[in-house]
Amino acid sequence: MYNLTAPVENKILIASANPLFRKGLEKMVLGRYGEATIVRATTTTSETLDLMESWQPDLVIVDYDDKSISRAEFLRQFVAGDLPMKVMLVSLQASGAVVVYDRRTLTPAQAQDWLSTPQITPQTEALISRRSSSMKHFVFAGVLVLVLTFLVDLLLSTTRLLPVQASLQAQPIDRLFDLEIIAISFLFSLIVVFIVYSLIVFRRKPGQEEDGAYFKSNNPLEIIWTIIPLGAVIGLSYFGAITLGQTRQADPAPLEIKVVAGQWFWRFEYPEYGIVSDKMVMPVDQQAKLTLTSMDVIHSFWVPEFRVKQDLLPGENLVRELRITPTLIGEYKVRCAEMCGTSHAYMESPVIVVSQTDFDAWVQEELAAIGTDPAARGERWASTNGCRSCHSVDGTASVGPSWRGLFGKTVELMDGSFVVVDDAYLYAAIVSPNAQVAKDSIPNVMPQTYEGSLSNDQIADIIAFIKTLQ
Amino acid sequence: MKKFLSIGFVTGMIGQIIGTAVGIGLLAGIRALMGLAPKAEPAAVLGAALGIVGFMIGVGGFRDWFAWAKGEDTYEAEEFHDRPGVIRYWGYSLDHKVIGVQYGILSLLLMALGGTFALIFRAELAQTGMQFISLDFFNTLIGMHGMVLIISILLGISAMSNYLVPLLIGAKDMAFPRLNAFGFWLAVPASIVIVAAIFTGGFDTGWTGYPPLSARAPLGMQMFFVAVFFAGWSSILGALNLIATILRMRAQGMNMFRMPIFAWAVLATSLIALTATQLIGTSFQMVSFQRLFGMGFFDPAKGGNPLLFQHLFWFYSHPAVYIFILPGLGIISELLPVFVRKPLFGYRWVAMSSLGIALVGFMVWAHHMFASGMEEYLRVPFMYSTLLVAVPTGIKFFSWTATIWQGRMRFATPMLFTLGAIIVFLLGGLTGPPLGTVATDLHLHDTYFVVGHFHDTLFGGYMFPLFAAIYFWYPKITGRRMNETLGKIHFYLMTPSFLVMTFGQMAVGLLGMRRRIADYDPAQGFQTTNFIITIAAFLIALSILIFFINLFVSAKKGEVAKGNIWESRSPEWSILPSPAPEHNYAQPFKVVGDPYDYGLKGSKFVETAPQQSADQETRGTHG
Repeated sequence: MYNLTAPVENKILIASANPLFRKGLEKMVLGRYGEATIVRATTTTSETLDLMESWQPDLVIVDYDDKSISRAEFLRQFVAGDLPMKVMLVSLQASGAVVVYDRRTLTPAQAQDWLSTPQITPQTEALISRRSSSMKHFVFAGVLVLVLTFLVDLLLSTTRLLPVQASLQAQPIDRLFDLEIIAISFLFSLIVVFIVYSLIVFRRKPGQEEDGAYFKSNNPLEIIWTIIPLGAVIGLSYFGAITLGQTRQADPAPLEIKVVAGQWFWRFEYPEYGIVSDKMVMPVDQQAKLTLTSMDVIHSFWVPEFRVKQDLLPGENLVRELRITPTLIGEYKVRCAEMCGTSHAYMESPVIVVSQTDFDAWVQEELAAIGTDPAARGERWASTNGCRSCHSVDGTASVGPSWRGLFGKTVELMDGSFVVVDDAYLYAAIVSPNAQVAKDSIPNVMPQTYEGSLSNDQIADIIAFIKTLQ
Repeated sequence: MKKFLSIGFVTGMIGQIIGTAVGIGLLAGIRALMGLAPKAEPAAVLGAALGIVGFMIGVGGFRDWFAWAKGEDTYEAEEFHDRPGVIRYWGYSLDHKVIGVQYGILSLLLMALGGTFALIFRAELAQTGMQFISLDFFNTLIGMHGMVLIISILLGISAMSNYLVPLLIGAKDMAFPRLNAFGFWLAVPASIVIVAAIFTGGFDTGWTGYPPLSARAPLGMQMFFVAVFFAGWSSILGALNLIATILRMRAQGMNMFRMPIFAWAVLATSLIALTATQLIGTSFQMVSFQRLFGMGFFDPAKGGNPLLFQHLFWFYSHPAVYIFILPGLGIISELLPVFVRKPLFGYRWVAMSSLGIALVGFMVWAHHMFASGMEEYLRVPFMYSTLLVAVPTGIKFFSWTATIWQGRMRFATPMLFTLGAIIVFLLGGLTGPPLGTVATDLHLHDTYFVVGHFHDTLFGGYMFPLFAAIYFWYPKITGRRMNETLGKIHFYLMTPSFLVMTFGQMAVGLLGMRRRIADYDPAQGFQTTNFIITIAAFLIALSILIFFINLFVSAKKGEVAKGNIWESRSPEWSILPSPAPEHNYAQPFKVVGDPYDYGLKGSKFVETAPQQSADQETRGTHG
């Protein structure tokens, strides 16, 4: 099968008056190519030239430093002649290096490579015909690459890959996606076509035992496929940076909305109007400036139709900002995109894009709804502050105790003591929830930040609301 | 019974139980003496840590070092002999081949476990609503799936490097055999501790463990931290050993550019593992201390900053991705020439591109944080550095393509997996740029698109090459070949299923499905695709089950592998018999040519006869 020591009929001529040079090289060559190699040695210029004429060796190795061999005469004969052979002028004077005839300095290892290139027995015609057929394959594969690029790009650009585009910021982002899809289609086709073409055309057919074509490296080619991708990625980064800049363009007079996230709710505050809501209502075609903060862990604000995303961090010094200009009237959802604990999957709230008129109407409606009944206000605060995501009002069990029938009840605490739920207990349980945890509840779940985020009046309203749930 | 108690694994387990009990008892005792009520968390952490130390003492990992400390003599590593038979894989051994197989077994076990976690939550995701499991269990499973498989990958890489590197470079063993054994056995108790996380309340953070969520997660989080800390330690020790081995123990004549290309990949990987792994240990340790001692590193209320954690974490965890894939890419480069019967195109460029990837890999971590709220001016520079990774990766792809071009390809099972690896890794690579450019990443970050992307890179860069390597080198371990038909069924079942799975993941991700959600909104229209993804996941599991059956059955019943079955030029095939004997090469070999000169008649990579070199002789007398 693939016998690595197959006999190669090499004829090698060594020209040197120095017997040590001759014997040393002869031993090395025989050791390298095996017994099939015939090595003959000569000591003078004329003898060498005669043998080159009559014996026609494949390789001639001339001692560069031997004064008895005229290398000028020898080179002239060699250059003028048309014999297909390799000549190597070897100098062993420079220690650790071998000088060959074109005066390149090679290390011993490189000289061995040079010796072992298969041109020792050139079959020039076969080589040329193989090159031209290889070129044919190359061109054919190249055409296939272009065809496949077109097809893949067509497939990807006609499939609906992204959700509806509903913001100004989404437009440059989607254009960048299109550019990237073209690049992906081309690179995918380039690699896949050449590999698959090779698998099909050059694969080992039954009965074929020889190895593949021997080519090993090509530095210009390697440099080309380093430089071109380098240029491409710098170009892509450049467009990427421009696109990022476009998504961050700030209008001078945006609508300000403060977005507060907590486990597991969203709250939207409109400081201009004094409205707090559990859904985000936005007028179309007006930029909104969102200031984002979290009450507990990291959350992430993402409406897929708007494309842009920003994490919300806890901490007053870590408030972040996001600009969104909705362009399409409709109902969407903000979906928390950063793992935030148990109910992460359900941390979604409505985002409603309306006309300016509808927005004004909604503002009026909200302002009117902040009425005079403390319990009604409390119900509002409870839903806008996320209380309801853990506390039900109809008695069903959830993460926290249900509020139905809670007021006036006697509950067992974790340390085994009992407490009656009254105004004072409820107030304490809201502002420092870990102080007296009921036995069947889990400590450390409820945010400990309500003392800062709710006013005492609001807490009183919420307690008033709980009292009504009997 | 006495025989049973002489097995290293058994004594190690006993040590771990005792260590854990001591740790818990110690802390409970101290608190009792101080008149405080017992507290579960500190006791559990100390118990887990001492349990690991106990295991190491039990298994004998410290024995020789203790002996040296007392001034006693021990045997040399070359005099070490294993117990005959399969029992040797259950105890403390100094033979790099035995340790390699031990790493492999543990890695495959964890792979099966981590895969099973995925099957459970994939079943849950087949439909909207919660059907089988609770939200908290789901959240624990996704984090466990991630970290158990990351540890499995690290061990799998160690398995390949440990088994192959000394064989490929002609060394008798690793540079530090005792350190090698220590590194492996450390991973065993660490694996036990991470599994314990499920039974101690789990954790709901995903594998990334971001605070403040991880600072308030259940006790399982601490088990996770302890396990990652020790597994990381094991990885660092292994990397150190591999670097020393590759730099110092190569055969005569094997200069750096005549090393098998896999050794280059392992060198690059080990450099990353040695220098970056500390950072994940540190970041998790800081969260652990925040929980235990109230040190507010990441707590804004105490002047800390949660973003600091993300920087520390990704400074390891991004390069870690290259730790996972570089050895696999090395396997691809190693196997391609054998099966296309052609030289590896541009050997030096391929070798240098591994180092290039390793270097650039250190400068890109913040691309995981484009939406995190870090300083905004950091985003554009990190986009440039991230996309730079495409350059050395591109060199690899182009070089593989040029290697395959005009090759006389033979489609044995290892080759199929190598080809699968190239295509799947290509998909992983090509889905990278949309994530690397900030603007598009703002849409894609933390979606299923990312999930699809990294499953492509990890299957293409690790799983497929791992299977290729197992099918290829299995006869060197057992002396028998794996069943070719079952191998092909494995490949033709897994590859299309896998592609369907990741394409599905990317599709729903683009449309807006978030990562790590236990349930999804039916209004978004993901149900059909999610159902298909689940089916595909189960088909992948089925194909891997077939692989495991093949693995076990072939060890006893496989076709006997005689001689150089792959006609490889590499020394472990051209010189060594199968299975490889103890202490490898009886007689050192000498490198006389390039490793991948397939198609060059009369050339050789290695030869055994230690002969006086002709050129040296000539130079000596002539000059």
